[in-house]
Amino acid sequence: MRTMTKLLSVTAIATSLAAMAVPAGAEMIGEGVTVYMQMGGQPGEPPVLPRTNGAKAAAAALGVSLTEQYSSWQAETMLAQFREAMAAKPNCIVIMGHPGNDAFADLVADAVAQGIVVTSGNAPLKELQVKYQDKGFGYAGVDLYEGGAITARAMLAAGLASGDKAMVFGNFSRGDRGLSDTGMADTLEKAGVTVDRLEMSEEVNGNPPLAIPQLVAYLQQHPDTKAIGTQHGGITPLLPDVGQQAGKGPGDIIFGGIDTDPKTVDAVKAGTMTATLDQQLYLQGFLPVLQCVLSAKYQMGGFNTNTAAGTLSPANVEKLIPLIDAGIR
Amino acid sequence: MTAAAQHGGRPAKPPRPLAARLLATEGVPILLVLVVILIALMILAPNAFLGWRTYVSVMINYQPQIICVLGLTLVIAAGDIDLSFPSIVTLTSLIFAAFYRFDNVFWLSWLAEGHSPEEIKMLQAQYCWLGVIAAMGVGALAGFINGALVAWVGIPSIIATLATAFIWRGMAVFLAGGKQFALRDFNQTDLWAITTGRLFTDLFRTGDVVLRKPDGIPIQAVIVLALAVLLWFILNRHRFGESLLFIGDNANVARVVGIDVKATRIKLFTLMGALAGLAGMFLTMETENFTTTQGQGMLLVVIAAVFIGGTSIFGGSGTIVGSYIGLLIVVMLQIGMVALGLGGDIADMVIGVVFLAAVILHMLVERPERLKGLGFGNR
Repeated sequence: MRTMTKLLSVTAIATSLAAMAVPAGAEMIGEGVTVYMQMGGQPGEPPVLPRTNGAKAAAAALGVSLTEQYSSWQAETMLAQFREAMAAKPNCIVIMGHPGNDAFADLVADAVAQGIVVTSGNAPLKELQVKYQDKGFGYAGVDLYEGGAITARAMLAAGLASGDKAMVFGNFSRGDRGLSDTGMADTLEKAGVTVDRLEMSEEVNGNPPLAIPQLVAYLQQHPDTKAIGTQHGGITPLLPDVGQQAGKGPGDIIFGGIDTDPKTVDAVKAGTMTATLDQQLYLQGFLPVLQCVLSAKYQMGGFNTNTAAGTLSPANVEKLIPLIDAGIR
Repeated sequence: MTAAAQHGGRPAKPPRPLAARLLATEGVPILLVLVVILIALMILAPNAFLGWRTYVSVMINYQPQIICVLGLTLVIAAGDIDLSFPSIVTLTSLIFAAFYRFDNVFWLSWLAEGHSPEEIKMLQAQYCWLGVIAAMGVGALAGFINGALVAWVGIPSIIATLATAFIWRGMAVFLAGGKQFALRDFNQTDLWAITTGRLFTDLFRTGDVVLRKPDGIPIQAVIVLALAVLLWFILNRHRFGESLLFIGDNANVARVVGIDVKATRIKLFTLMGALAGLAGMFLTMETENFTTTQGQGMLLVVIAAVFIGGTSIFGGSGTIVGSYIGLLIVVMLQIGMVALGLGGDIADMVIGVVFLAAVILHMLVERPERLKGLGFGNR
């Protein structure tokens, strides 16, 4: 799968370079293609930013007219945005899978019947993908459950062992969004780790620094906790602060998180953060736009790309810092 | 001479018992609620609540919320509301962070031209002082615009600040240039030491673990406590505070007695904006990070804290002490639920119940006749 990811990355970059190399006056490959794309949370938000930048870069390179839609991660807003997009009759709509297959089924059927290409990102819609793959319905994103499992395996590799206790701070009750937390917790449990699954509040979801004292108090109350994991991109960069304020030195607590916020990367470099899943969010923006162009213009089927590139480690983090600062990684 | 004779024949009121006088003191009833909650948490989660780390962590992480709670108390006491302060926090977080990371922001990157990375690092330590002035200035300006829309244009504050919330947040995202950034090595600057450093570190030293930031009382907590005292004096002992309460009680009567209602409301929103600016700056200084959602989750918690604290939902009265403690109640409940392994969903339900109970209690105690206006007691 990683080979596939790399191959598609190279394809995407090559396509963009080729498009940029188009002589002045020549038509770009995506000329005339209009795309409505759901980006997730809010503009500029950590997990949203690289995706947006990737989509914009693809649109600029291919000559696509791109309209971004932000939903604050609200499933009902995503559904409403799909209807808004359909009303504008674009060539392609890129959706997020959070509302689920059933919620999207009729909407996607209507769109496809009108000749609109629909593809997906960030959270998979496997049933719809099987049904409409020949119409260009693809997926660019991490398999959420597997993403959590990858992070858990990195935590285990860092020393978490059978019989240890860990806490996963997540959004277990929020449908597909909780799959990555579940993947992490399940994987740790299969390895013999005792896992405490804790649901975070809506306030913490929206204001991650509030999580710090909560997790400090948890570590105080449960001093035998060896690891804390989360798949929340806003809380991940704050995990080293939790260790710091709980009086733990680097490596005392194994922290597993998600995404490559600049502060997270600094922490990985400093050894205060154990592992963070690199979803390559830029690709999750770039590839669906490319998919839209290829399907709308050349009737190409949907391609399925797992954008996960494993976890960041001190070994690979240094060379990524300039790219992370630039909002690309 | 009898007491009755001393009072013109009417029997003198017996002195109120000490307990009653104590309960009538500002903030004491709500402080008792906090104490009860803390005792319960100490029993249920002794490791977390009998040690000092949880409390220090609260002091480190909740000062921006406390600042906003203090400011919003004044606004609500004056009969208004400000829904835009989380967005001002985001905007001023960006402004401050931008002056530190001027090399990474499109509208300031010209300052980095021709400088080596070492020189840029040196300049960051200087320019962050400009960031303080700029963030406070932008916060005050945003507040002034809010005030002008409310007082001069006449838009109800709930609508005006809802609209500007979108503007300030959008502006922050635009000025960030689609980026988030870490304030690397900010904790090595003089500004960090003065505003965000730790006090009494020797008292908190435990074990051999070398921490990036030593344990201790965060200076932000001391500054915010001083600010709370100042705002208490402004609300309770200053003409401006008196005007706010008068306006909150009845703006028309306030106008008749000579209070410049428009100017006072503009000053109030400007103050709120400046306080939100301070909150944004403190948030960025402590987290040493800027993201475009910074501060966005504050709104409901801060409003809940103000009302739990006892500030009147009808305007005309406000309590700085109560609001400060109200926030601590919300915080301790949230932290306590997680420490007990119950999760935030349970915490939300408990906070909702406490919120309702507190508001009803305050209404019953302070203005029972107002309940009729809300449809209670009509049957």
